[in-house]
Amino acid sequence: MSENSIRDVFLEEAKEILRHLEADLIQLEENPDDEVVHRIFRYVHTIKGSSGIAGFDEVYEFTHRLENLLDAVRNKKVPVEKALVDLLLESMDWVAEAIYEHANAERKKFLDEKVASFGSFSAKEGEAVLARTENVQAEKPANYFLVRASFKPTIFENGIDPLLILEDLVSLGSVEHRRVHFDKLPALRDMDPEKCYLEWTILLKTFHPRQKLDEAFLFVKDDNDISIEDVTNDFTDSERRAGGIQERKVGEILVRRGVITEEELDTVLSIQRETNKKIGDIIVEKGFADEKAVQQALGDQNRIKSRIQATTVRVETKKLDTLLNLLGEIVISQSSIARMAEELEEEQGYRLKNALYGMDRITREFQEQIMAIRMIPIGPTFEQFRRFVRDVADDVHKEIRLDIRGSETELDKTVIEQISDPLKHMIRNAIDHGIETPQERQKAGKKPVGTITLNAYHQEGNVFIEIIDDGRGLDRAAIRRKAVERGLIKGDEEINDRQLQEFLFMPGFSTAEQVGELSGRGVGMDVVRTNIEALRGTVELFSEPGKGTTIRIKLPLTLAIIEGMLVRVGKNVYIIPLLSIVESLQPVRDSIKTVEGKGEVLLVRDEYVPLVRLYQHFGIDSDFTNPWEALVVVVESGTSRIGIMVDDLVGQQQIVIKSLDNFITKSRALSGAAIMGDGTVALIIDVHGMVGEIAT
Amino acid sequence: MNAAENKKAAHESAEQEMKQYVTFVIGNEYYGVEVLKVQEIIGMTQIVHVPNSADFMKGVINLRGTVVPVVDMRTRFRMPEREYDMFTVIIIVEVKNRMIGMIVDSVSDVVDMAESSIQETPHFAAKIETDYIRGMGQVDDKLVIILDIDKILSASDLEKMGQDAEESK
Repeated sequence: MSENSIRDVFLEEAKEILRHLEADLIQLEENPDDEVVHRIFRYVHTIKGSSGIAGFDEVYEFTHRLENLLDAVRNKKVPVEKALVDLLLESMDWVAEAIYEHANAERKKFLDEKVASFGSFSAKEGEAVLARTENVQAEKPANYFLVRASFKPTIFENGIDPLLILEDLVSLGSVEHRRVHFDKLPALRDMDPEKCYLEWTILLKTFHPRQKLDEAFLFVKDDNDISIEDVTNDFTDSERRAGGIQERKVGEILVRRGVITEEELDTVLSIQRETNKKIGDIIVEKGFADEKAVQQALGDQNRIKSRIQATTVRVETKKLDTLLNLLGEIVISQSSIARMAEELEEEQGYRLKNALYGMDRITREFQEQIMAIRMIPIGPTFEQFRRFVRDVADDVHKEIRLDIRGSETELDKTVIEQISDPLKHMIRNAIDHGIETPQERQKAGKKPVGTITLNAYHQEGNVFIEIIDDGRGLDRAAIRRKAVERGLIKGDEEINDRQLQEFLFMPGFSTAEQVGELSGRGVGMDVVRTNIEALRGTVELFSEPGKGTTIRIKLPLTLAIIEGMLVRVGKNVYIIPLLSIVESLQPVRDSIKTVEGKGEVLLVRDEYVPLVRLYQHFGIDSDFTNPWEALVVVVESGTSRIGIMVDDLVGQQQIVIKSLDNFITKSRALSGAAIMGDGTVALIIDVHGMVGEIAT
Repeated sequence: MNAAENKKAAHESAEQEMKQYVTFVIGNEYYGVEVLKVQEIIGMTQIVHVPNSADFMKGVINLRGTVVPVVDMRTRFRMPEREYDMFTVIIIVEVKNRMIGMIVDSVSDVVDMAESSIQETPHFAAKIETDYIRGMGQVDDKLVIILDIDKILSASDLEKMGQDAEESK
């Protein structure tokens, strides 16, 4: 591995660790239990180790000191308090900066001193830092026993079958390793079939206490040579100290597992001194153990060394995108074969269609699986806001608890990457405008500590993310005043919920009396909405005075493939995303009205919606020019609805979205293109863009 | 100029950098683009018109699963339009990592030209903005206008062209 790639791996790894570290530090403050302290220690330790290898000497040196401090914390020499968490967070920031930007020497000196002062605090307590022992509890107390059994040759005469004992033993747990000793086995001609010659050693992993093992040997332990040794510590110890332990020698591991004896190891070691061969090779050569056992021991050794989970693979997102694109091609080819099947004669066509049906199932499954790979839980994204909420709340002198729910909810990676900023904005708003100061809250009869809840869940093929605060709710009067001031409504008009939302998401619309550092500049919610709509999502807002505000974001599960409705206008086929469609209908003549200055509207279920004649909007030819002869597809974007007039509905189909470079058209009403089964290109209508276009 | 002389000339300029150009015809002129920029040349195919686009933006085509925009070079150079015929081809070029198709009257040949034999553009108040011309080259007795494809078909330029066309309407 070249130096650069070591560095790259480190940069990638550190990013993840720093994120976990941040979340854990916040948790430490809220809930200081030993497990968290240990995790933090391990993270810092890992950074220390890797930064040394990757050549970040300053980081190495600094984290080393930090580690000493954390060790003191772990041994309860230094109490967990706010000042400590503050220092650790600051230190972490420095580390991140040093790794990803540049090491600020002055800041390091400052932090060094602080860390040292915390350290000396522990020294004053008068005790040296002792080696840690008991703090960690093994998650699952599995026991390891090394069982050696050497039966007397005449055991069969007592009517005991050692095999049954062996089976008993195995039923208690799992055999990690076994070895049969053939030493006493005579040559075939000397063998007495009524005598027992075999001995064996078993390493048993079990959740039962030793007693159970003793029971298995109840009838034989007196006059046979049975030894049961508890070797649990040799196994869990290595796992416990996984943060950083000296590696164990392969030979030792093998002895501990009873694969080879100590004498054998000595022989091997003396050979090694002479020949300078690898110890594993010698063991195999000498026939003390088979290669598999040695490999296993080597594997354990490596596991102890790196603790890398062998079951996961890091893959570049780009490769997944390529896979998805290729799958898209398959879907396209498939629908073109389906078209050919239609043209075939009955019998053949029928058979081909059947085969295609089966293939369709597979590709759908395939697609789901690839999608599943791209899906990652939203938890880490939510967690990173813990620190943010803590810091911002501190700044504005409010007490706020962040409640995270639905961490396991999975979203497309691209969506997750792009949702972070809008979320931050909305959380900031909730802290600034939503949650009241502790005094205000107490006056209103609420708990002084405010709560912001981040929630995520799946519903009907969509992902919902909610930001809920239990603050004061929206100030309707202020919003109304502002709306009147800006001439959006008349002075005597009341505003309904829908208008309220529209106003809040307008650029430059802010009711904050003072422009703060964080929010109130009026840029914000409109940007949030634009970002979310770029992901083909929607934002809704609910608020109850005195009780709080909920912002709900609805996002599609995936970005690349959508379910589309194919519509035809003249010779052109366009695609309308199925999720935006409310209904389609053939309007009656009387339901269409022309409103002065606003164009045509259509009465749909007691509501007037603007009518867009697609042929007019796109400047193309169409079969019909009268809406009552054509069809109207009613679509929805956010809270606005429009009716799109088309000649005909062609059908519903899964389509793979291909982006359209924005120099091709100025029209915001087109978001991309898709390739149909017959190889033609169809353009995808962007409902949100179209709504925006007709509004202006 | 006979073949032997040609060979000799080629030999003399061997030290100079030779480049290959794809030449094509628009109107009465020969044009050339570097062969390395050309992905492929395809016959006229079904073009899907994209609404609200500039007049030279003919639409998009399906190039084996990729949606590629195509530009009519005649309209781009403000020459009169002409019916597409059996000689009309689409030259797919790569400009800054994206593929764009150029509709031209017909494709001519692939020729070798020495870098030094390409002359600076003389200033002529012709139909073509001289910025887009890298130079003029001579092949046999034909004059070839070498286009700077990165400039003429760059996204920002196409966007700007579209806006200008809109304003002048």
